[in-house]
Amino acid sequence: MSRLIVHLDMDSYFASVEQQAQPSLRGRPIGVTGRPTERSIITAFSREAKRYGFHAGTPVWEAQKRCPDLVLVPGHPERYIDTTKRFLEILKEYTAQLEVYSIDEVFMDVTQEAERHGGAVAMAREIQRRFGEALGPCITTTLGIASGKVFAKLIGKRFKPNGVGVLRDEDLPELLRRTPIGDICGIGPRIEKRLGQLGIRTLRDLGETPELLLRREFGVYGLFLHSIGRGCDPTPLVPYTDVPPPKSVGHSKSLPPELRDMPVALLVLHDLCEQVAGRMRKLGYVGRTVHCGFRAGSIGPHAAKQITLAVPSDDGDVIYEACQAILAAIPSHPSEVSNVAVSVGNLVERDRLPDLLFEEDRRRDRLNGAVDCIRTRYGAQAIRRGSSLLVKPLAPHVGGFLPETWEF
Amino acid sequence: MSEKGNIPIDALVVYRRKQTHPDLRSFSWQTRRVDVTRTNLVHTEREGETLYLVYSVSAGKDHFHLRLDTRLGRWTLEEIEVGN
Repeated sequence: MSRLIVHLDMDSYFASVEQQAQPSLRGRPIGVTGRPTERSIITAFSREAKRYGFHAGTPVWEAQKRCPDLVLVPGHPERYIDTTKRFLEILKEYTAQLEVYSIDEVFMDVTQEAERHGGAVAMAREIQRRFGEALGPCITTTLGIASGKVFAKLIGKRFKPNGVGVLRDEDLPELLRRTPIGDICGIGPRIEKRLGQLGIRTLRDLGETPELLLRREFGVYGLFLHSIGRGCDPTPLVPYTDVPPPKSVGHSKSLPPELRDMPVALLVLHDLCEQVAGRMRKLGYVGRTVHCGFRAGSIGPHAAKQITLAVPSDDGDVIYEACQAILAAIPSHPSEVSNVAVSVGNLVERDRLPDLLFEEDRRRDRLNGAVDCIRTRYGAQAIRRGSSLLVKPLAPHVGGFLPETWEF
Repeated sequence: MSEKGNIPIDALVVYRRKQTHPDLRSFSWQTRRVDVTRTNLVHTEREGETLYLVYSVSAGKDHFHLRLDTRLGRWTLEEIEVGN
């Protein structure tokens, strides 16, 4: 028996949630953004705005030029995360084979459960109805049903919004013949270009290309491409109960124009280091490899380097000192920086390490513990580094998707 | 037209067995009383250990955003959008 995979994708998610919360926005073209200034970008458009051909990431100035009636709405990450938690609670009633792919996308393996609900299509319609009752009429979802994740996502996309798409075995050859390779999740513009150079334009072309050739060109990834071209999707579903431990913990921030001088950007970087360290302590990890980077100017190249610490750490100051060492090693420092990023990898569970040897380290550890306690009790802004007060708070990250926030 | 504030209010709510949050039926402040006709969205926000329930409700053509501090059991009215 082949697998029965359902891909669930919320329609214009952030914009729909805003329209649900604010009835005055319903039926109007809206764009959700972190900071409604001309220089920022729009994270999500309502379906009314999508008629203008907009896609996520369009700059505000461009969107306003093409659609003067566009209403800019500041994003509310808590609303989206909370709504996601609520619809996940509903989906958990259907199957435990549930993969949370992003804040608004889920894969479900319903091979065992579909029959109990009158088939996969009836189950999908039931989920749509229950979402409507629990979340409100503006928050709709589209479901794609196929034998694999890639095809379920592909077929669902063709039935948006608020639809249910099914890929039957007999329709597969026609789908392979007509689908451009760029429509497949996992084939980006660069791979598409390389495949195009080999004369591969559709999924059927991909399936007819010798496996050996694809393997030689793309390595192991070539095997995946060949399988997809033959209509087989080997991608496994990773249930939320089996999510692998994180490989790294990181944060990055795009800076508004007033914060782009290097000294100010360093203050933001210090703040990010504190946030990364706080998340690591919450997750119970220490890390050995610090990776730090910045983007020079507004469209300049991204410069990044990494450094390995002598002793793994979860201390924001240690991570920041490593970042300073990295930045000192980067030859040319621009006067203007539009993005800063830090991540810590090579993670080890803190409990597996011996106790700290030196009193100074133990004192820092106690201090971090006390700071974490204060933030847990009174909120993240309750205690802050003095230098961070020199920078006005940055707009929240609208898309906020941190696996540890799900707390299943 | 929209107006923002932080006005303490009295609220009449119904707790239901299977619901994670109480249903807001009506609320009042000073001499004004508003009967809720529709709950649009309820979401949670957390500040430290304090959990807030944030309500977006309508009364006829007017829309309201309210906040319940679940630790203190206090309601506040945060935003009024007067419909046309």
